[in-house]
Parts: sequence; structure tokens; C-alpha cells
Amino acid sequence: MDGSVSAAIEVDHLQVSYGSQRVLHGVSLSVAPGEFVAILGSSGCGKTTLLRTIAGFQKASGGAIRLFGRDVVNTPPEKRGMAMMFQSYALWPHMTVLGNVGYGLRLRGVPKEEVRARVAAVLKMLNLSGLEDRKVTALSGGQRQRVALGRALAIEPPILLLDEPLSNLDAKVRLQLRSEIKTLQSRLGFTAIHVTHDREEAMTMADRIVVMDAGRIAQVGTPKEVYDHPNSPFVASFMGAENTLALDVRPSGAGVEVRADDGSAALYGGSVPVGAVTAYFRDDIASLDDPDARIDGSIVLPGKITQRTYPGGHYRYVVAIGSRHFTVTDSRYHELDRPVGLRLPLADLHLFPNAQNTGGHHA
Amino acid sequence: MARPSFFGLLLIAPALAMIGALFLYPLGYSLAAAFTDPQGGLSLVNFGKAYEFYSTDILFTLFIVITSTLLTGLVSIAIAGILTLGETPWLVAALRALYRWPLFIPFIVAAQCMRTFLAKNGLMNNTFVALGIMEPIQATSLLDWRGIIITFVWKQVPFVTLMLAGAMASIDRATIEAGRNLGASRLRVLVEIVLPQVAQTLLVGLVLSFVTMLSVLSVPLMVAGSQPTMLTVDMAFRINSYGDYATANALGVISYAIAGTVAWIYLRHSVKREVQA
Repeated sequence: MDGSVSAAIEVDHLQVSYGSQRVLHGVSLSVAPGEFVAILGSSGCGKTTLLRTIAGFQKASGGAIRLFGRDVVNTPPEKRGMAMMFQSYALWPHMTVLGNVGYGLRLRGVPKEEVRARVAAVLKMLNLSGLEDRKVTALSGGQRQRVALGRALAIEPPILLLDEPLSNLDAKVRLQLRSEIKTLQSRLGFTAIHVTHDREEAMTMADRIVVMDAGRIAQVGTPKEVYDHPNSPFVASFMGAENTLALDVRPSGAGVEVRADDGSAALYGGSVPVGAVTAYFRDDIASLDDPDARIDGSIVLPGKITQRTYPGGHYRYVVAIGSRHFTVTDSRYHELDRPVGLRLPLADLHLFPNAQNTGGHHA
Repeated sequence: MARPSFFGLLLIAPALAMIGALFLYPLGYSLAAAFTDPQGGLSLVNFGKAYEFYSTDILFTLFIVITSTLLTGLVSIAIAGILTLGETPWLVAALRALYRWPLFIPFIVAAQCMRTFLAKNGLMNNTFVALGIMEPIQATSLLDWRGIIITFVWKQVPFVTLMLAGAMASIDRATIEAGRNLGASRLRVLVEIVLPQVAQTLLVGLVLSFVTMLSVLSVPLMVAGSQPTMLTVDMAFRINSYGDYATANALGVISYAIAGTVAWIYLRHSVKREVQA
């Protein structure tokens, strides 16, 4: 976002509208060459619109898009020189695998024999060797999306756009293709923008994550930054911290005293907002302890075990605290109805002052 | 098993009876009449006469219908292509609103309009002269084979476009975007990506148009009265002027044969596709 010419993709105050409905409200984003960026957001947040505007399928109503310093806002999609993978594969059913993968090369006037040779090399890279003359309609979903990846990569694009290409695949193939795309990206060095609503997919594939909300960028950062330090309640709950807890933070000595509604309190030395706050946290940070334990740096809420399941490796308990229920995993066996303490390390809670609270989900 | 099939038969019986009475019987009758000589014997004498008198008209009919079908195909592809790939909203909207109108105009009204439009002193030439594009002396009447083709194309383009644009709208839009994304211009996308996916629909539309144009009487009769003319006019003439049903039936059989050939090409193509799929 520093406006440097070296950025592979630079989106500058981009605005997009469908009729009178504004979908992107001045989005700015800079992607370095060779970087893998994931755009993450719930449906309708504008992430696909952003990608399609970069590709040229959607007209911008304001702002600029620069590819390696060249403004392409008014350039038709065929002149932007990037490749894209689609959710629906978008393979051409009337062509063979060779026809599909080689199409971009044919458009660039590459001689027939060379097209065949280069397609063969691409197919080999994707473990599809020998399928050149197969109709794409005779392939499985995973093979089809590999062919689509091959078609995009055959032209050796500097930029690859991925529009949820893995969401139609079954779980196993999805994991496989995830790592294949990532491996190819580091090997070939292209710049990639990957739109997805799958948090784990974004976390595992991207160098940087862009979280979008209602046509604006909510947070940009490395997967670890966004996961560990969400900058808003929206990002926190989107990154999986969906449990909320009202807390009161007051200065006490060198640190603060954190107090829950039921009177449980803890002292904490970290820097947190003071006043009425809402804590957002993931299930996996909670652990079981004695109901009356007092541990500095952790708040312990007394409750009762209401359900126990064994999904394998550890037990999963549902703990009732007042009228609220939280899911906790613990390796020890506990009887049902046993009073326990739900221990929440304050360092792992995302605390936001209540004025900013937009309401989170309850567990 | 016997009862359901009996009821099934009962249900389709009215339809079957209609087809039998209104289509199969007259068809069989005219086929039989075409192969019967005046003495009532089996012979090809009617075909000999039909060929002797009307061989030029058979070729003329083939020429008109084939040319019209090809032009209809080209214009329909162009219009459906603009409707599907166009990026100028007002042009697409205007075209979408306008192109269907001729569908609702009967052939005979279209022929009547073309008479006043394409004549030597017709609206078209007068407009060209008024615009200074043409000298009055250069004005010629298009009321001959060209008039028939123009009328046929004008009348059939909306029908084929309607089918084609519908088929194009239902293909996965992403396949179009994938083509443009890799660097194909809109024309290449139309020819190499969109058309192959809707070829079947185009073929059906053109076969139906071909058969329709083959059977139209009013247009050749009104737009181009002179010789050569189309087989429909010849058939009407044989019956109205001479009461010569035998030759008219022979010409009818020739029309069936032409239409049948086109239907056969279509069927063969669709069977091949089904085998491939």
C-alpha cells in the first residue's frame, strides 16, 4: 500500500458498484511479486467482486488497479495477461485435455508441436501424463481442477487468480490440491491471489491473509498475526474465536484485575483495554481445572459438566456456566455433573471494549 | 402389465388418431398418387413430367433455401453473440428488444412489407436516394431471388436467434471468462468456445428453418412472381390451373425428399453425439 512500482498487483482505493449498490468501498491492497495472498470473508463481503475486478470481468467505478506498475482499469480481461482458476473448473467440454491446456499457448501463436510438448510438461507436473487426448468430461473432479490449473499455468502467467477453486472438491482431493498449488507456486514463483471462505485453506496456503467485511478490508497480515491478534470483534469471530464473555477490567497495582459477571476474578500483567470489555476466544484455549482454583493470568469460571464424548485421543466435554455452554477438550476422564472450573488464559483472550462490540456468537 | 399398457394406449389414442387422420393418411395418399399413372398403374411418369417442367425450379428452390439457411445462421450467430458477449449495455438492450419482432409477423405480411420495401421505387431505394448514397438511375428492384432470400432471412433470424441466445445464456459463464482470461478476443471466444457448446441447438434451429422455408408459398408468390420460382408455387399452379394433382404430388415428394435429407443429417449428427457422450 506504499504505492511502490515494484508491486505485482496494486489495488488503489478501488470502488465497485452493481447499479446503485456499492459493493467495494475503496479497497486498497498491494501484493508483492511472488507473494501468495488469500482473501478471506463470508459470502457477500465483496471478495469475489474484488478478484473479478482485478481480472477485468467487473468494471470499477473508481480507483486504480496496477499490475507491475501498469494501470489496467480500462484494459479488457484478455489484455491483462493473468490466469484464473474458477470454482466451476470452467473447462471447455468440447475440447480434449490437450485442447484445454494448450489453448492459451495457441492464442499466443505457439507452433503445434511446441504446444504439445509444453502441455505434456505441464501435465507431467500435475501427474496427468498421458491424458492429453481424453475428453475433459470423462475426468473426475480432482482431475478436472488439475487440468484447469494446468490450463492456467501453461501460459506461465506472472499472476494467478484463484476463485474458490477447491470448494467443489471432496476433502481428501482438496487437501492434496492445496499443497500442490502451494508447491507449484513456490517453485514457479508466480504471484497468487486466492479467494476463499475456508479459514484453514487461507491459513495454510497464504503468505498473507486479507480479511474482508462488507466491501472493506477488515485486516491484513500474516496468518499468525490475523489469527493471534485480530484487530476487531469481526475478525476475531471470523478466525474462529466465536465464544464471547463479558468481562470488567480495572487497574490494580502494576497490572489489571479482570472480573467476570459471576465474581470470578484474576490479576493480569499484560496490556489490555480497561473498562467493560467483551472477550472473544476459541474453544481450544479453555481447559478444565478445579472450580475454586485461583491462577494468576487465567480466569477460572465455575461450572458443571453436562456432556462427555470421546472423539478419539481426548475427551470432549460440554461445560455449563450459568445458562451458557462451552466445549472443552481434556485428556482426563471426568464424571458427568461434576463441578469444574473452566480456565481461560487471559493472554489468549481477544478483548475488545464494549463500545466496539458488534455482537458475537454464543457458544 | 396388460392393464397399464391398455390405459396408456387409451390415453394416447386421440393424439394417434389425429396424426393418422391429418398427417399419415394425406401423406400416404399423396405418396401413392405421385407414383400412380393416369391408368392407375405404378409408374414414375409424374416424376418425369415434374423433372421435365420444373428441374430449374428444383435447383432454384435448393439454392434459395440453402443460401437463406446459411445467412440465417450467420446473422443469428452475430446477434446471439452480441447478446451474450456484448459489453455496450444500450446496444444489447436495444437488440434484445428488437430482434424478436419478426417472429410475430406472418410470412404473408412479411412478403407484403418486402414488396413495398424492396421495389424499384420502394422505401429502401428511396431512402438511399434521399440520403444521397445512390442516384435514382441506379435504383433496381430486388423483387427476385434476392427478395425471397432477404424475406426468409428476416423472418427466420429471430427464431434461430431466440433458440441460440437461450442456449448461449445457459452455458457456464465461467467458460467464456476463462477464454478471455487466457487472452482470447470476444470474436475468438464466440467462435472457439461459445459456438461449439451450442452447435446442437444451432443445428436444430437451422433444420427447422430449412424445412419451414421449403414449405412457404406466400413469399415466392408475392415477392418474386416471375420464373424461376420455388416448388411451392409450382405445386399451387399445377393444382389451381390444371387440377393436375399427380404432378403436384410428385413435386411434393421431391420436397419431402429434400426435407428428409436435412432431417437425416441432423439425426445422424445427434446420434453421433450421443454415442460420444
